Amino acid sequence: MYARLLTWWTILRICLEERLVYRGDFALGTLMRFLPFITQIFLWSAVFAARDQSPLRGYSYNEMIAYLLLTNISRAFSSMPGLASSIAQQIRNGEIKKFLIQPIDLIGFLLLARVAHKVVYYVVALAPFALVFYLARGFFSGWPDVTTMLAFLVSLVMAFLLGFFLEATIGMVGFWFLEVSSLLFVYQLFSFFLSGQMFPIDILPSAARAAVDLLPVPYLAYFPVAVFLGKVQGTALAWGLLVQAGWVVLFMVASRVALHRGLIRYSGFGG
Amino acid sequence: MAHDVVQAVAHDFGSAAGGLESMSEHPSYLRVFLTFARNSLVRDMTFRTNFLVDVVASLTWVSMQLAFYLLIFAFAPSIGSDWGKYEFLVFLATTLLANSLVGAFFMPNLSEFSELIRTGHLDFALLKPIDTQFLVSFQRIEWSTLANFVFALCLLAFALVHLENPPQAIQWVLFIVYVGCGVAMLYSLMIALSSASVWMGRNQNLYDFWFYITNFSRYPMEIYEGPIGTPLRRAFTFVVPILVVVNVPARMLAQPLSAQNWPLAGFAILATAGSLLGSRWMFVRALASYRSASS
Amino acid sequence: MAIIELVGLAKAYRVYQKQEGLLASVRGLFHRQYRTVEAVRGIDLQVEQGEFVAFLGPNGAGKTTTLKLLSGVITPSGGTARVMGHVPWKRENAYRRRFALVMGQKNQLWWDLPAQESFRLHQQIYLIDPARFERTRDELVELLGVANLLKQPVRELSLGERMKMELIAALLHSPEVLFLDEPTIGLDVIAQHNIQAFLRHYQQLRRITILLTSHYMKDVAALCKRVVIIAQGRIIYDGSLSGIIDRFSHHKVITLLFPGDDRMPSDLARYGEVVEEFAPKVKLRVPRKNVPDVLAGILARHAIEDVSVEDPPLEEVIAEMFSLAGEAQTGDGEVDRVAERVT
Repeated sequence: MYARLLTWWTILRICLEERLVYRGDFALGTLMRFLPFITQIFLWSAVFAARDQSPLRGYSYNEMIAYLLLTNISRAFSSMPGLASSIAQQIRNGEIKKFLIQPIDLIGFLLLARVAHKVVYYVVALAPFALVFYLARGFFSGWPDVTTMLAFLVSLVMAFLLGFFLEATIGMVGFWFLEVSSLLFVYQLFSFFLSGQMFPIDILPSAARAAVDLLPVPYLAYFPVAVFLGKVQGTALAWGLLVQAGWVVLFMVASRVALHRGLIRYSGFGG
Repeated sequence: MAHDVVQAVAHDFGSAAGGLESMSEHPSYLRVFLTFARNSLVRDMTFRTNFLVDVVASLTWVSMQLAFYLLIFAFAPSIGSDWGKYEFLVFLATTLLANSLVGAFFMPNLSEFSELIRTGHLDFALLKPIDTQFLVSFQRIEWSTLANFVFALCLLAFALVHLENPPQAIQWVLFIVYVGCGVAMLYSLMIALSSASVWMGRNQNLYDFWFYITNFSRYPMEIYEGPIGTPLRRAFTFVVPILVVVNVPARMLAQPLSAQNWPLAGFAILATAGSLLGSRWMFVRALASYRSASS
Repeated sequence: MAIIELVGLAKAYRVYQKQEGLLASVRGLFHRQYRTVEAVRGIDLQVEQGEFVAFLGPNGAGKTTTLKLLSGVITPSGGTARVMGHVPWKRENAYRRRFALVMGQKNQLWWDLPAQESFRLHQQIYLIDPARFERTRDELVELLGVANLLKQPVRELSLGERMKMELIAALLHSPEVLFLDEPTIGLDVIAQHNIQAFLRHYQQLRRITILLTSHYMKDVAALCKRVVIIAQGRIIYDGSLSGIIDRFSHHKVITLLFPGDDRMPSDLARYGEVVEEFAPKVKLRVPRKNVPDVLAGILARHAIEDVSVEDPPLEEVIAEMFSLAGEAQTGDGEVDRVAERVT
């Protein structure tokens, strides 16, 4: 047991070191992350100015900006840059074979690498995030109560897991189709427009809204933020968390099954 | 028209190179460029499925963007004071025009530039008796991105039909000239960014950085106002002239000509020349510190 | 006047040193440690027009770095160089049209296109007169026997075929100076032989000047009269191939053939080191100055059917020389390893 923990710790540490080597990327990446948000503030400010500040489908100007700011947090948890494509690439060039030989679980390894990636990112990004939220504190109407806060944290962790297993599953599709980039593109398109990072999905026309609700993507960005802002409460909140957990489990199982079947198929080829 | 604009830029670089080198005999940059274009097309056609997927993907992407803006205009009659729905669609079409040209001609090359440096393949570009910046900038052309160009033209046509004041011939001329300037400015920014990657060893964030910066150019500059917006607008107009890229040509076409616009239009010409020269300088500096990786 | 002239040419790199450990990596975010690696430490060399010179040396000795300096790809940190009167790193078009560099480990042809498309591009970039272009191309294609491969995408060619195409691309503009960096690396024996035969023929035909680096002694022996040996960024030998043996080898190999298996004595080790023993044949490695005495002794004491005295194989001499050069500069071993990565 101890030896196993040690292995995982070593992997985590190596991943952390690897992430830290390129400081230029880091400094720039974190700094730049908030630039698009600034344009969004000005865009919505122009939109609300044009409608004489009247609320838009239940969102005041302040709420809209708070919403968009908070999606940066949920995206910081749920986005998995390069995960699916790197899995697909490893399948294509045969590197994945090493997981057939080494006594390491591929999904566990990738999850740890991702955790390392995220931890380093949060460490570096904490200061800029804190600064931005401090500067934008005027858009918020105070802290939510403890229950809401807890629900928010739980939904963030689940957003991370959902993002991870969803992308891992997409990457595993590479066992069957060598080119996953178009599938990945569709996913990114959906997650960009329909996860709620561009706009709160409740402002969509109701038919579109109902369709989007059937997808897993709103749980990557929209849902945690809606929880924080108190847009989802009581039974709706409990139900929402349950559905989110359901999606996590579904994709966790899907990625496992895909890996298992994929490796069998792979070794069957003898390639 | 894509050709005209890019050839104009290519020509610029031909003569810029002439200023820096003491050689009398230059290869024909236009012919080399046309061969690049032809080779890229041959290559694209050998991977036809990929090509089609790329076309569909990028068209879907811009359609989604269009849908987002239409959603916004469902809630607001205008953005800024001057930009009603159809004026803004002209603006959006201009953004797409400039970006599709950059995406087709420069993006594939300059994102490869840092890879050339990492692997040491820049060696070959340096050996050729032709301007290195030209070679690095134009080698590949992503023909599939020109689908967005066509999309943008259709959107432009659609929006212009609904405009109250349809543009006159002179506005068209100015529009074309300033889209060219915009493309040149975006190109310069890209050269500057990829040159920076020479010093930083690798630059995964190049695309992100590019996206974040050009993001500012996507909206009418009037929306940047107030104690933060005004300095921001000035910085992205006069320091990194990214706001000029789309705003100037879009205004030329979508709004009636007005004397108020001339200072900015004049500045846009200066900014174009300045950024081309500045990025050239950065490129030359970057080459000097290139050290050629083995194997 | 020499066509290539180097005086005190030097190249030092600054290399970022990655620290081991997590804390050190964090520190690396803010403060970086660099160290200087001297890949080339002052090379003086003169090459005359029409010479075919080989650069030999262990990995990281500075051979490739020198070729890159001469082709202007990198700028030196010291010294001067003139190739056909040009300073390479000024990268003048006039210079770039007169030489070519071929690297066995990197390819410059468009991967997904037939080689002839890349040739066409070269014609335009190098401003080759169309008639002359076609003549040169056809001639090279004929010499290398690749006429049927011109229309195939480069990615579908074998390594050997690709190298032939690379050579054609490099020679289309009829360079007067040709730099070859490991042109036969990774090729099988037949492909190596083909490339050697082509290079020899082409060099005799055109009398161009060629500088070659290679790991294969066969390349060198087949092609070059003059050999320059580089180790640790310095020239340690410059002369003929056979001169290497005279200068650096202190041994000869004596091969003895005895009349029968049972007639072979068992105490041969006292004459010299037994290198090979297949009764009734044995090979002895004997210090050069002892050869007459040893021969006289053996012939006096034993019945011998046949005897020969030879120089040791060149590879062995050079390997020995490199290991000596390495020992002469102990402590630099680490730098050498780094240089290997950088050059």
